[in-house]
Amino acid sequence: MTQDILAYGALASFILGAVAAIAGFRYEAFKRPGWQFVLAGLGALLKTAAIGEACKSGTTHFFNSVSDIYGLMAWALALSYLLALFVSRARSLGALALPAVAALMALSIVSDKTQTQMATPPALFATHIICAFLGYGLFLTACSASVLYLEQNRLLKRKTFGVLFQDLPSLERLEWLEILCSRLGLLIFTVALATGIEMAAKSSGVNWFDWKILSTVVTWLVFFLLVTGRALRWINGRTAAKCVLAGAALVLITFMLGHPAEKKTTAGRIPGYRFRDRRAA
Amino acid sequence: MSVPSPLGTTLRVIGLSHHKAPVALRERLAFRAEDISKALSGILAHGFHEAVILSTCNRVEVYSVAGEGGDAAARLRGYLSEYHGVPEHEFAPALYDHKGADAIRHLFEVASSLDSQILGETEILAQAKDAYRVSVESGACGPTLRSVFERAFFISKEVRADGGIGRSQASVSSAAVGLAKKLFELENRKVLVVGTGEMATGIVRALKSAGVAEIWVASRTEERAQEFAKREGGNPCHMRHLEEYLTKVDIVLVSSAAPHFIIGPKEILAVAQKRRNRTLCLIDISVPRNVDPAVHKLDDTFLYDIDDLEGVARDGKMERETVAAHWLPKLAEAAREQMRVLHGSEPRETAKKLLEHAEAARVEIAREHSRGMDAKSAEALCRALERLQGKLLHGPLDTLKQSAREGGGADASAWVSRLFRLQMETNAESAVAEGETQPPVARSAPPDDPPKRTLDDRAPKTAPENPPPRGEASGGDVAFAGN
Repeated sequence: MTQDILAYGALASFILGAVAAIAGFRYEAFKRPGWQFVLAGLGALLKTAAIGEACKSGTTHFFNSVSDIYGLMAWALALSYLLALFVSRARSLGALALPAVAALMALSIVSDKTQTQMATPPALFATHIICAFLGYGLFLTACSASVLYLEQNRLLKRKTFGVLFQDLPSLERLEWLEILCSRLGLLIFTVALATGIEMAAKSSGVNWFDWKILSTVVTWLVFFLLVTGRALRWINGRTAAKCVLAGAALVLITFMLGHPAEKKTTAGRIPGYRFRDRRAA
Repeated sequence: MSVPSPLGTTLRVIGLSHHKAPVALRERLAFRAEDISKALSGILAHGFHEAVILSTCNRVEVYSVAGEGGDAAARLRGYLSEYHGVPEHEFAPALYDHKGADAIRHLFEVASSLDSQILGETEILAQAKDAYRVSVESGACGPTLRSVFERAFFISKEVRADGGIGRSQASVSSAAVGLAKKLFELENRKVLVVGTGEMATGIVRALKSAGVAEIWVASRTEERAQEFAKREGGNPCHMRHLEEYLTKVDIVLVSSAAPHFIIGPKEILAVAQKRRNRTLCLIDISVPRNVDPAVHKLDDTFLYDIDDLEGVARDGKMERETVAAHWLPKLAEAAREQMRVLHGSEPRETAKKLLEHAEAARVEIAREHSRGMDAKSAEALCRALERLQGKLLHGPLDTLKQSAREGGGADASAWVSRLFRLQMETNAESAVAEGETQPPVARSAPPDDPPKRTLDDRAPKTAPENPPPRGEASGGDVAFAGN
């Protein structure tokens, strides 16, 4: 019950934050990033409290229900967004990120909360889950920055100096934000990948031809090449931004394959780890 | 039948400006400074009495006073088309054509910078003064344009002294900085300035206050580059080393008077490898443009011209509206007043000439016929001739006075001048040289159409019973109520 109240509170905060972000394009009062920072921060705080409440239930909560997955995704994206807002003051980023966070949060509230019970949760499970979702969140934030970069680039090329143009940050700042989120995301995602492979290896071995593993590895590779290419100045600007979009599409595929979409068919799980369906039990 | 007012139809301005014509069109119709004298001669050869060409980065305008007959606007359009080799249909939709008081009002607005992209800029006043000077030196500026331009210069000072207008002077500079800031943070950036000028100075100062680290100044003349660099705190460099500096810098500000492109895709692509695809911002405020628009299509290269800067300067536009709301009605009234002065001065001058003409004839006749007469008879003849002159001139002078009061002075002057074959003052140069303070007489050619009304329509059918006193009709200045 407390979890639900906290989740609703988080949803309300995210929705208000999204409204403030969009209203910022029109109303001067909402142009300050403080509104979004406070509202998104409050939402993230409430969601963190909800996760804490769930953790209190110990082994009975495995964070693998469809609701949990959407919720974790919303939480990770909100944290990434807060980090990006804090370091870049790119207020308009909220107009993309916060509606997505609110939508994920709403999906989390309305979707199936049934847990797939694990016989013995592995020791690295929590690290894997948190790192995976934070990685997704950071990649999606990099994607938001890339979308804004491409849009600002388009406006600058077309010489359309409207409200959106005035409100968007500079290309350099958006690019820097995208690089920061990609690098940080890659680092965290690498940990998630390593822990996932480690867990799978310890149980029944890694099935490298599993779709989820394949898409995860490809996603990692894309971001690795992107970060390396940027560091070596092979790619930059629009090309790099498009690569981030491709990477973000892979993140979504990985996310869908690994979690909600797969849940109903093959019991969304850590690769190779055997789950016992709680309902069947 | 009413005869059209000569000034109303012959003083006109035809031109195009940043409001309707893009820079791509303006640059095709721009006159090079060194060619303006020649162009003015060409305009005079097309049947115009006076002309001033104002060609700046934001506008190309021809102020003219045409003789009667024919479509002066069509002749000017045709001349512009012929001179620049641009088909008329390409620029005609962007042209404006103001006549009479509207033309004067337009000049007042232009000189006061109310019509400029940068409200409160002083460059346009200097450019208008230059245009006027070139016209005077070329012998193309007559009394009408001289009077109107001098009034415009006076009014522009009044408008600028108002105070409110100067605040947005930096709007284009801040627009340039605003655009650059949408590309990158300006701290520690490097700027290359190609060409010097007031607007470039403003932008460089704005960029410096935004935090740019280094400024290089390139100019065709090394002295100007050095002077600019010294004044604005930069380093002079030579145009020959443009490529080297293009590799280093992040912002290129081009404000030169070159008639061709200085930087094109070739130059940018040549340095792209060395730049390692760093973003390059080019701001080209010159007209004709000095940076090939094709560079904007290249990746990581952004080019903005003078029109684009206006698009960004939204605050300037708002301020323009406020200032314009305050000043435009006043300028329109000043233009009407100037028109009245032009009209009013004409009958006075005509009356003066008529009296001089009659006086000369009377003296000549008196001299011829008084030979051999005794003093008394000679005196009687002189008096009789004076009375005759007074009676004959009463009608035309009264008509001139009345028409000056009613606003049709120029029309009446034209008729009187034609009927009495009066030689009007036409030497504009001498008038300018003399530095007269009174508004000059507009050169008004009488209408070509044969008059359908007779002199009787205007003059009293019978001589007045009480002829005017000698002092009023037979010589000296005539005081007009209409003035």
